[in-house]
Amino acid sequence: MIAALLLLIPFLTALVLVSLRPAQARPIALVSSLASLAVVLYAWISYSGGTVIHYNLNWVDAWGLRFVVGYDGVGLLMVILTAVVFPFIIGAGYGQQHDRQATFNGLLLFTQAFLFLVFLAQNALLFYIGYELTLIPVFFLLLFWGGADRRAITVRFFIYTLVGGLSLLFGIVYLLIQSGGNGDFTALTNLSIPASTQVWLFWALFLAFAIKLPIFPFHSWQPETYYMAPLQGTMVLGAVMLKMGLYGVYKLVFPIVPAGVEHWQTTVIVLALIGAVYGGVIAFRQSDFKRLVAFSSMSHVGVLCAGLFAWNAYGISGSFYQAFAHAILVLGMLYIVGAMQERTGTTDMSAMGGLKGHAPRLAALFLLVLVNAVALPLTQSFVGEWLMFAGLWQVSGWLTFFALTTIVIGAIYMLYGYQRVMLGPDRTNVTLADASVRDHIYLVPLIAVTLILGVYPGPILELLDAPVQQLLSSLSVN
Amino acid sequence: MSVLVLLSVLGVVLLYLGLFNNRGAVAGVGIAGLLGAFVLIASDWHLESPLFNGIIQFDTYARSFSLVMIVVAVLLFLFGIDYYAKVKENVAEQYALMVFSLTGGLLICSFTNLVVLFLSIEILSIPLYILAGGKRDSFRSGEAAFKYFLQGSYASAFLLMGLALIYGATASFDLAAIEAFSTALAGGQNMIFLLGLFLTIAGVAFKVAAVPFHFWSPDVYEGAPTLITAFMSTVVKTAAFAAFYRLIANLQLPGAVETMLVVMTICTLFLGNIVALRQTQFKRLMAYSSIAHTGFLLLAFLGTDARTPDVLFYYLGTYALATVGLFIVLTLAKRAALGDEHIRIFRGLFRSNPWIAVAALLMLLSLAGIPLTAGFVAKYRVFVLSLTNGYIWTTVLAVLMAVVGIYYYILVVREAFTAQEQETKPIVVAPLNWLVISICGVAVVVLGVMPGLLRM
Repeated sequence: MIAALLLLIPFLTALVLVSLRPAQARPIALVSSLASLAVVLYAWISYSGGTVIHYNLNWVDAWGLRFVVGYDGVGLLMVILTAVVFPFIIGAGYGQQHDRQATFNGLLLFTQAFLFLVFLAQNALLFYIGYELTLIPVFFLLLFWGGADRRAITVRFFIYTLVGGLSLLFGIVYLLIQSGGNGDFTALTNLSIPASTQVWLFWALFLAFAIKLPIFPFHSWQPETYYMAPLQGTMVLGAVMLKMGLYGVYKLVFPIVPAGVEHWQTTVIVLALIGAVYGGVIAFRQSDFKRLVAFSSMSHVGVLCAGLFAWNAYGISGSFYQAFAHAILVLGMLYIVGAMQERTGTTDMSAMGGLKGHAPRLAALFLLVLVNAVALPLTQSFVGEWLMFAGLWQVSGWLTFFALTTIVIGAIYMLYGYQRVMLGPDRTNVTLADASVRDHIYLVPLIAVTLILGVYPGPILELLDAPVQQLLSSLSVN
Repeated sequence: MSVLVLLSVLGVVLLYLGLFNNRGAVAGVGIAGLLGAFVLIASDWHLESPLFNGIIQFDTYARSFSLVMIVVAVLLFLFGIDYYAKVKENVAEQYALMVFSLTGGLLICSFTNLVVLFLSIEILSIPLYILAGGKRDSFRSGEAAFKYFLQGSYASAFLLMGLALIYGATASFDLAAIEAFSTALAGGQNMIFLLGLFLTIAGVAFKVAAVPFHFWSPDVYEGAPTLITAFMSTVVKTAAFAAFYRLIANLQLPGAVETMLVVMTICTLFLGNIVALRQTQFKRLMAYSSIAHTGFLLLAFLGTDARTPDVLFYYLGTYALATVGLFIVLTLAKRAALGDEHIRIFRGLFRSNPWIAVAALLMLLSLAGIPLTAGFVAKYRVFVLSLTNGYIWTTVLAVLMAVVGIYYYILVVREAFTAQEQETKPIVVAPLNWLVISICGVAVVVLGVMPGLLRM
């Protein structure tokens, strides 16, 4: 029931919005996303560990495509993440001027439905179908409402992602043939694939997620796409879409090709960290606020991926915990970007400065969002980063050191950005409105989540603990 | 037997109806006749098998492909009502020739004797040579017809020579006897037989436009009237592939022929997709995309097993549906753009006709192979087949080429969903065309979600 509701509520609402185009599209979408959130919270409360399978139906039996949906702890966390994030994404639209509201919100809800499918799927092909389908609404979000150069950048984004997608399909087909046509994750996990095959199969499967995340050197689609996309589109990409990459690694790569992971572990961590440092350094050089967020996201994701590939309980749990924190952070940062753009008409930081005098409360909210970005203790990011570094430490001290520098770089570019926007001489020569009620309604819950989960990470870590332990113990058995 | 008679008579009746110059009646009778043929085949009525001393066999394989061809022909005839509405004369001849060609198509997928293969390829092709030149006052149409005829004749000559050599080696035209010969030969060398197979396959490969026998297709696709282009890329392609597979299905292919097929597959996949990247004229784009799809279909030929015919059937059926719909959309957009065929004519389609744009989107996504459309399922099954049979690297190339394919289809999608800058003539969609486009658009999704619906 829960799975059916999660898939149907956004999907049907989206269909209604796109086909009937009601005038009050955004409130309808908001209600729909809140309804999904309520369902997910109910699922969370009633979750008591293990893997819950809601449906197990044959679809096209002959080639291993079965409609198996359910979740383990990690899957549930991803579902929670998706459900929490979407009301905020839709709500962010209140500050944005768009034509064709109905189509816009419909596409957002389609994305949500397909994301739920990805995180609920317990069959590799079903996962793949959801994974590719998420691209279609996002493609149109970017094509219709993107900024300058959207036509070229959208196509590049689409092709880049599909290169990974088809490589993933190739890997899945290969696995299906090995398993005799059973595509369920449980069956694929039990395969014993020769280590020499796993070494190349790893890349067939991982390439898709490496591009989706993205890690260096597969990142070149990301900054421009984030920059060009409409604000809410960037939120979708940064807050949830890239988490499909992490989840995919956890679900499809770790349990199925462990020998491949072992072989490439160091390579991936090094690549991810190169990306993290590189993204951070470039973020520092940006004069555009939205670009800064884009590159900072790239930097954060590099660390996430490195933590995941530390491949121990600390690293994996930390990575998923941080994924949640990162989603909240991206929402907050991008909302601030939008709020600034609304007020000054630009996202160029060199045109801003001294806004704190005009908008002290907004500046305070911004600072509170920012402390999460720099992983200050007592924020959610601190917990995640600490866990990841503890995990990385078990792999290599040097790599950990390398990873830690990204925190320093992150603090530098974030605070430098804050300084250029909020402090210093006033360069805008306009009087700005301070944070409105709407801004408070939006940002205060995000900050509250950050702080609460920063002090009390228990509920989420509990979700992660059992499945991660199970994954690791099944590996050590093999 | 019954269906061959019905279709032949139908063609003649259509020609007679042409004397009265009543266009509505011609299309109506044509469609009714085709539906009759559909019923005859589906109900198996007087479809004695084998026929004519066992040179024709309407087995499940032949009947399934025949049904697909007839359904596609019905869709094209429905489109024809609007397409030929402005044409003054010779409309009935066009319908009649298509019916004759279709008869050849039915024969070609039911042959069990190589003489029938040759005859039916000619029955299939000769009407097409005329149809390609259907626009008599158009230079390009004449050029297309001439090119098609000239190259088609060469292909026929190759085919004939090949058949003669095979006969020389095996002393029989009967497919079963040749299969027995090849099994007995297995591993051994027989130059005459080998050469015969080479030439025969080259002749058939010409019909499916496999590289390096593809040179005719872009020019002919571009020059021929759009309806005929659609007919060639759907009905004729289906027929040719059905024949191709029937020819080699049970043959113990010598190693050299296997190699030839692999090389042909690789070249077709590569060239079709890469050249399509540079096309800006939609019809040429579709021609190269057709070549590219030939490559994917050939991939299913490598190391065939019991699933191959079903995979081919599904692939060709869904490909035909998407292609027919897109050619109709093209015709409508082309009319509004006063004859231009550049892909930018689709610009603003979503604004002016949202549903048509969405249907076109579904068909393009299906051709590109995006999940939940039939094209995805088709490609997926081909990949499974070729991987199972151990062609890993060829499949890797095919996957890469599928990405390239997505790129050029998505460029068309982008045009359709971009707003038009300046006002142009609106794209008018007649109710019947709307119906056919909707059928095609919905069908590719329904068949993608429930692939079990379309099987042999």
